[in-house]
Amino acid sequence: MTDWRSRQNRDGGWAYNKGCSWTEPTAFVLLAQTVTQVDRRSFEAGLKFLRSTQRRDGGWSPQPDVAESTWVTALAVLLPEETVGADRMKRALAWLEGQTGRESSWSYKFQMWRNGDKEKYPDGWPWFPGAAAWVIPTSLGILAFKRALRRGEDREWRKRVDLGAEFLFGRVCADGGWNHGSNRALGRDGDSYPETTGIALTALAGAPRSEIIRRAITRGRRHLAECRTAEGIAWLRMGLAAHGEPVDVTPAAAPRTTLDAALTAIASANRNPLLI
Amino acid sequence: MNVTRREILGAAVAGMALTRCGSSKTKSAQTRRVPALGYKSAVSIVKAPAYTTDVYDTVYRMVADHRLNVRGKRIVLKPNLVEFDPHTSINTHPMVVHAAYEAFRRLGAADVKIAEGPGHRRATLDLADAAGYFSTVPKFEDLFTDLNLDSVAKRLVPQPVSQLKELYLPCTVLDCDLLVSLPKMKTHHWAGATLAMKNLFGLIPGGVYGWPKNVLHWAGIPQSIVDIHHLFPRQFAIVDGIIGMEGNGPIQGTPKNSGVLVAGSDVVAVDATCCRIMGIDAKKIDYLKIARGEDNLAESAFRQIGETVAAVRTPFELIDPWRQMVRAA
Repeated sequence: MTDWRSRQNRDGGWAYNKGCSWTEPTAFVLLAQTVTQVDRRSFEAGLKFLRSTQRRDGGWSPQPDVAESTWVTALAVLLPEETVGADRMKRALAWLEGQTGRESSWSYKFQMWRNGDKEKYPDGWPWFPGAAAWVIPTSLGILAFKRALRRGEDREWRKRVDLGAEFLFGRVCADGGWNHGSNRALGRDGDSYPETTGIALTALAGAPRSEIIRRAITRGRRHLAECRTAEGIAWLRMGLAAHGEPVDVTPAAAPRTTLDAALTAIASANRNPLLI
Repeated sequence: MNVTRREILGAAVAGMALTRCGSSKTKSAQTRRVPALGYKSAVSIVKAPAYTTDVYDTVYRMVADHRLNVRGKRIVLKPNLVEFDPHTSINTHPMVVHAAYEAFRRLGAADVKIAEGPGHRRATLDLADAAGYFSTVPKFEDLFTDLNLDSVAKRLVPQPVSQLKELYLPCTVLDCDLLVSLPKMKTHHWAGATLAMKNLFGLIPGGVYGWPKNVLHWAGIPQSIVDIHHLFPRQFAIVDGIIGMEGNGPIQGTPKNSGVLVAGSDVVAVDATCCRIMGIDAKKIDYLKIARGEDNLAESAFRQIGETVAAVRTPFELIDPWRQMVRAA
């Protein structure tokens, strides 16, 4: 078992590797503990850090020195409601609901329409408010709202989940996987990445076995055979498992960071806390 | 290659915001910064045919020639790490980075760090390992800071030409005495060429702004390049043009043997000189025009040390629309 406490900062949070506490590794370490073994003292300190860093607008910033709520808010929503608290969760979801990629704003769509562009630009989620939507924050946004729907909350959120999935389907690379979200530029196809293919597949858990999903699974398996990063392997294992695909052989890659270790622990667990 | 309008618009929405790139000509004409230097910046051009141990001596001599006062100073070396593929020329070669590290140490620098914040891939240490940094630079992990995940502080952008008003920046870079940009000499499908100035996009923390650093695209790519450049007044650049990248750079291009290293303290002058070596008209690269003004980018505006541009000129293949737009006569 990973010794989470030895890596923990005094404020209760975790750094990616070394230095100050960040929301992302903190949330993933806590998620990992929920499906492995909870170190109660460490877990409570981590939760205390998260509770103390929620911003007044309901979101979370990437780390306390940043005065802006961002995509990491979705990670806090993925934690069990009783840990973060129902009211905090509700405010976080309200903040997330208000976030879309800048390209799906009416003004941008109108500008594109005037240029003869008939693209739909479905609502995904950006990394940072005011920027375009991308694959990783959209995948985590989908997972956060799916989680909220499983708790029986606002049924309107189903529409956001569907639009997020539509965004992902529109960003599939020619090779069948996903990269950060730029699948084609200046007439040339972009190559997919292991980690983004894995995270998008995880977000699309439960989607019908369409041709897109079949090709993505095939690409994910090829990535898994070649991938040499703990992050990529962990997400691919989660993504393939989310579609009922057994992962027999796992290539070895030692976690380099605390985030790697947390993702590896989650991918190795019997159940995925992102999909509960 | 046929590029449809739909693809270009799709790419724009995927973060490259071509609509704003397209407007940059107007913006640059209105807001260009034209500092009156009153002297000719020195740019070193040295032939370096291959990544051999000779590179160490070459880089040392180039840095020494510029007589930088680095004794007791804190130096940050900023290479360009982009992708895992070890068979292409995407990343700054680790030998050039290590040679720069050794050169600054030998010249008396108190502390030399290597730091980078890749724009697309999040596993920076894995990326550096795949690029050969761990095997080339002893104790690499102790020397390296992932700028995407460093502590940050907010800074106002002084007199911005982009739409950026403020930026969170990594403390490792804010605290250094000299920032050394170590880019790969590459073509770039959105900016024309990516060299020492564009390399500074890697200073923007992905941990705050994401992967890619899309806020810079919306703020205007050439304008953001200039604004970030102006945030760091103490810079030096060594461009790895031993094997560069031509065609569809900065990721999908092909290796280009140009056998040259280019260095200097005036980073705009270094980039303009590299453009000439690549067969690109520096006056048609938006960020150079904004930074220095079209009239101040002529070859005669700079003092060349070592080789002449003509002696090392190796025209890089360009993709449309850059082929027509920036090819030097």
